[in-house]
Amino acid sequence: MTTEGGVQYSKIAEIKGPLVVVDDVDNAAFDELVEVETNEGERRLGKVLEVGNGKAIVQVFEGTTGLSISGTNAKFVGKVMEMPVSKEVLGRVFDGLGRPKDGLPDPIADQFIDINGEPMNPEQREYPKDFIQTGVSVIDGLITLVRGQKLPIFSGSGMSHNLLAAQIARQASVVGTNDDFAVVFAAIGVQYSEAEYFRKSLEESGALKRSVLFLNTADDPAIERIITPRVALTVAEYLAFELGMHVLVILTDMTNYAEALREISAAREEVPGRKGYPGYLYTDLSTLYERAGKLNGKKGSVTQVPILSMPSDDITHPIPDLTGYITEGQVVVGRDLFRQGVYPPINILMSLSRLMKDGIGEGSTRDDHAEVANQVYDAYSRAQEVRALAGIVGKAGLTEIDLKYMDVGDVFEKEFLSQATDENRTIEETLAILWKIVSKLPKNEITKIKDKHVEKYYQGE
Amino acid sequence: MTNSSLEKTIDKILDQTEQDILSNLDGALSDSHQILDNSVTKLEDEYDKIVADGRKEADKLEKQIVGSSDIEARNKQLLALEDAVDRVFTQALEQISNSDRNGDYANLIKSLLDESTKVLGTSEVIVFTNSKDRDVVQSTLGNFAGSELSSETIDCIGGVKIQSKDGAMKFDNTIDAKIDRLKPLIRKEIASKFGVKE
Repeated sequence: MTTEGGVQYSKIAEIKGPLVVVDDVDNAAFDELVEVETNEGERRLGKVLEVGNGKAIVQVFEGTTGLSISGTNAKFVGKVMEMPVSKEVLGRVFDGLGRPKDGLPDPIADQFIDINGEPMNPEQREYPKDFIQTGVSVIDGLITLVRGQKLPIFSGSGMSHNLLAAQIARQASVVGTNDDFAVVFAAIGVQYSEAEYFRKSLEESGALKRSVLFLNTADDPAIERIITPRVALTVAEYLAFELGMHVLVILTDMTNYAEALREISAAREEVPGRKGYPGYLYTDLSTLYERAGKLNGKKGSVTQVPILSMPSDDITHPIPDLTGYITEGQVVVGRDLFRQGVYPPINILMSLSRLMKDGIGEGSTRDDHAEVANQVYDAYSRAQEVRALAGIVGKAGLTEIDLKYMDVGDVFEKEFLSQATDENRTIEETLAILWKIVSKLPKNEITKIKDKHVEKYYQGE
Repeated sequence: MTNSSLEKTIDKILDQTEQDILSNLDGALSDSHQILDNSVTKLEDEYDKIVADGRKEADKLEKQIVGSSDIEARNKQLLALEDAVDRVFTQALEQISNSDRNGDYANLIKSLLDESTKVLGTSEVIVFTNSKDRDVVQSTLGNFAGSELSSETIDCIGGVKIQSKDGAMKFDNTIDAKIDRLKPLIRKEIASKFGVKE
């Protein structure tokens, strides 16, 4: 927080897309916050992207529509963009730039934190190994999320990823500890109806009091989307590392973020990379995703679930592709399951949580968890092969054991995968269903589970 | 066929039918016992499930009710606090506005002008102020070579606004602007006086 004001410059050389070029500028700094004032006295926020040769290129978050070269002033505020934070932000709804959107006053700040965050010292990072219960069986049982992990959801246009995101936000909790848990939810470029759904869903479930919402709707300026995940992560870091809370950050939809980045890159006439996205897309995404984690000596953690919709369901598209390099696994929402009316339509064969093995087992979930999950993965994979075979030779051409695997596939989708949007399953309930699926197989087909667990939990003939 | 053999056949059929009926009855009885036994376990399971579901639903409802009332109470507290902070602000601004333009005030104007010319990097500036501060500002401008007081007045509580002579650079160092910049910190200070701790 600075007490000094900034100099206001009135020589605007050029307005290009979301950028304003200001002439005769001394002492501007990279990333410095700028207040752009229109002819009518309206104030918009921006930041310095480039300085040099007496010029400063300013990116205006709220867009440049209605600005003209004459009569526009740019005030260089003398500080980078900061987010006022305190415990009071819990239960609040903000817009994409961190301004209150719930009709209440600005929160009384405990600290003002640079939204770009401080990079985590790699040496200080603690390996994530504690289970987070989302209440969604397929995630808890087969793609387990752990505290401090970054686990993206790869979805497609029109699918139910937002329902899933809201369900996770409502239900997520840490089990076996009394530590505080909070959810920071950043909606980036979502429709108004979706933003309202997120707000109402958290409000009606009573989860709003432990949540902070940042809502950037589709009709908000695209450039604001560059800031939304950053303010959300700034608040999450404060809650985690200053107040010792376990924070789950849900960012939806990161594709809209990447598109805003592409818009700025195009306006700056940068050499485009794959599909027109800037060459630094990987680096830029990593500055967001790498803000997840746990630190030695600090009680809290920041766990990230970024959601992105893959254009044309293409998993090789630059956004999911580069995201996959940075994050620790992925949850893939499947179009076929979605068309069959399965919710949540998660394709487990394409999904993976790289840190799952460290977050499950004795002491966190149950000692048979890893084995029963492996067996179900294996059985469902075999069921898919049998279904493909049945498509060619017909059901009559299948062996008895093939039919059993087919049955396993059906039970898996109907009883384990399918879940109501307000159904919050405990890990014990999830494991019980997994055993029910395994019990559809004869004992000699169970090759991935130790005998002692089979004796204890197997319910088959 | 003789009558006796007919009777024998009829008796035989009757016996067999009787036995069939009796065995069917026994079977039905044992089946019904079995069904009853099974349904007790099923009923118990069903009962447990209903109770567990009911508990879950009750927990959910409790969370909903407690959550929304907590939020509502907190929001009312925030609004009340903001109202009080606003009142403190209004009174403070009024007091500043009505304060005497004595020696201390002249020193304040000098330091504001000093700060402003340093930020713009020149004292070749046009200075704007309100009608109340014109005399104090005019008397201080002697220390800033090349500066001149504008004939236009601005609407503010006090302080100065300066502009480079070509009009390309402006710096707002009015008391209003300073308060605006410091408002978040002042709000925190006022709130702590009301006993609000972060």
